[in-house]
Amino acid sequence: MKKWLMMLLLAVLPALALAGAETPEMIVKNVSRDVLEAIKKNDKDVIKLREQVSQKVEPLADYTRMTALAVGRYWKSATPEQQQQLTGEFRQMLVRTYLSALTIYKNAQVNVIGARPGESVDEQSVRTEVSIPGQKVIPLEFYFERLNGSWKVYDIAVDGISFTVNNRNQFGSAIRQKGIDGLIKQLSDLNAQANVSGKAANK
Amino acid sequence: MRPTLFAAVAVSILLVGCATPQNNYDPLEPVNRGIFAFNTVVDRIAVKPVAKVYRNYAPGPVKDGTHNFFANFDDFFSVFGNLLQGKVGDAGHSAGRVLVNTSVGMFGLVDWASGMGLKKTDEDLGQAIGHLGVGSGPYLMLPLLGPTSARDVVDPVSRALLDPVDLTYDVSTGVSIGRAAIGALDARAAVLPLDPLIESQIDPYAYLRDAWLQKRYNDVWDGNPPAPLQLGPGLDEGDEPDAATEQKTGTTATDASK
Repeated sequence: MKKWLMMLLLAVLPALALAGAETPEMIVKNVSRDVLEAIKKNDKDVIKLREQVSQKVEPLADYTRMTALAVGRYWKSATPEQQQQLTGEFRQMLVRTYLSALTIYKNAQVNVIGARPGESVDEQSVRTEVSIPGQKVIPLEFYFERLNGSWKVYDIAVDGISFTVNNRNQFGSAIRQKGIDGLIKQLSDLNAQANVSGKAANK
Repeated sequence: MRPTLFAAVAVSILLVGCATPQNNYDPLEPVNRGIFAFNTVVDRIAVKPVAKVYRNYAPGPVKDGTHNFFANFDDFFSVFGNLLQGKVGDAGHSAGRVLVNTSVGMFGLVDWASGMGLKKTDEDLGQAIGHLGVGSGPYLMLPLLGPTSARDVVDPVSRALLDPVDLTYDVSTGVSIGRAAIGALDARAAVLPLDPLIESQIDPYAYLRDAWLQKRYNDVWDGNPPAPLQLGPGLDEGDEPDAATEQKTGTTATDASK
């Protein structure tokens, strides 16, 4: 009986291992394929496109770590509530700015170059190249970390420009001038303002 | 554009820019911000509206031809940029592109070379001397031309001094100005999609500067920097190379990886 149980366990183990074994490289391949498909199908309906794309992308992003990297040194001095608020506002800002330009990639092709090991076994980066006809190839790098067993993106670099690090100075000086709550207010004002003008533009 | 103008601007910026900086890698920040404000106004009133009309109404082949024409000059200077870095193969590709596109491609209007498998590399001189270990020096915001650094001023200066058209033909000043204007229009129209991204920042000046610094650093390392360039205080203090050291030596990342 015990032997039989052991056999069963051994048979199940590889299957269990496989289930959690989607590597960052495979994730990037699958998601970029899905996103490009969605762009081709919905290039007239921007709102529907945004919904579809964010559905695919949102579960993969670790917004907390992204925000921590963007805020830099001051992150640790923020209270948990402030951290949560910052993350919410930064998340809106990212989604707003990066999803607004999606239709540019209508005829784009994403070529996955390969994965590189990060600083620990739980970190990896995946390098891709986005080519749009008639334009220079854009290198796009996704930084992954393993969080509770699943891979999440915590930074993206476009042509070497990290979108977390790129915010560090403007966030830092906002905090020095008006404190963490000041930054939260500035971000939420900007987001509200963009929501209004975005809705006007869609009409 | 006269090279003397660039020199004069560069020197005056260096002389004026000794006010208190906000951080340690943008020593000329007060002056740069002034020029950035000026550029923004000029862009809003004159450049951006024209670029939008050009993007929306110029026929596709005209835009492609214009873009290719100016890209051909990039290839010309990439020959030297590649050679300086000892990339002989890439220099050959760039030279081949210039030869093919200038002749068969009618003065660069048609890009035949890409179809022939001749690789485009865009290795400008600033990148090349950066690769040789020259630090970027202070970040500069040039009037009308936009972001650059003390090191990378070598690009506009060399392009003005060693312009292949000026050296080959006797062109009038009017034609030169016209050419520069159309080149600027082509370049401006290409980055129109980025405007909402930059305009919606808390501090567009800092956002543009930090993007530019990261991109140039990445270019110098050909997309494979040993460590990312850190701008501003990170999560843990003192655990990363600093943009200020990078400006002095250009080898910070190498030191940090040891």
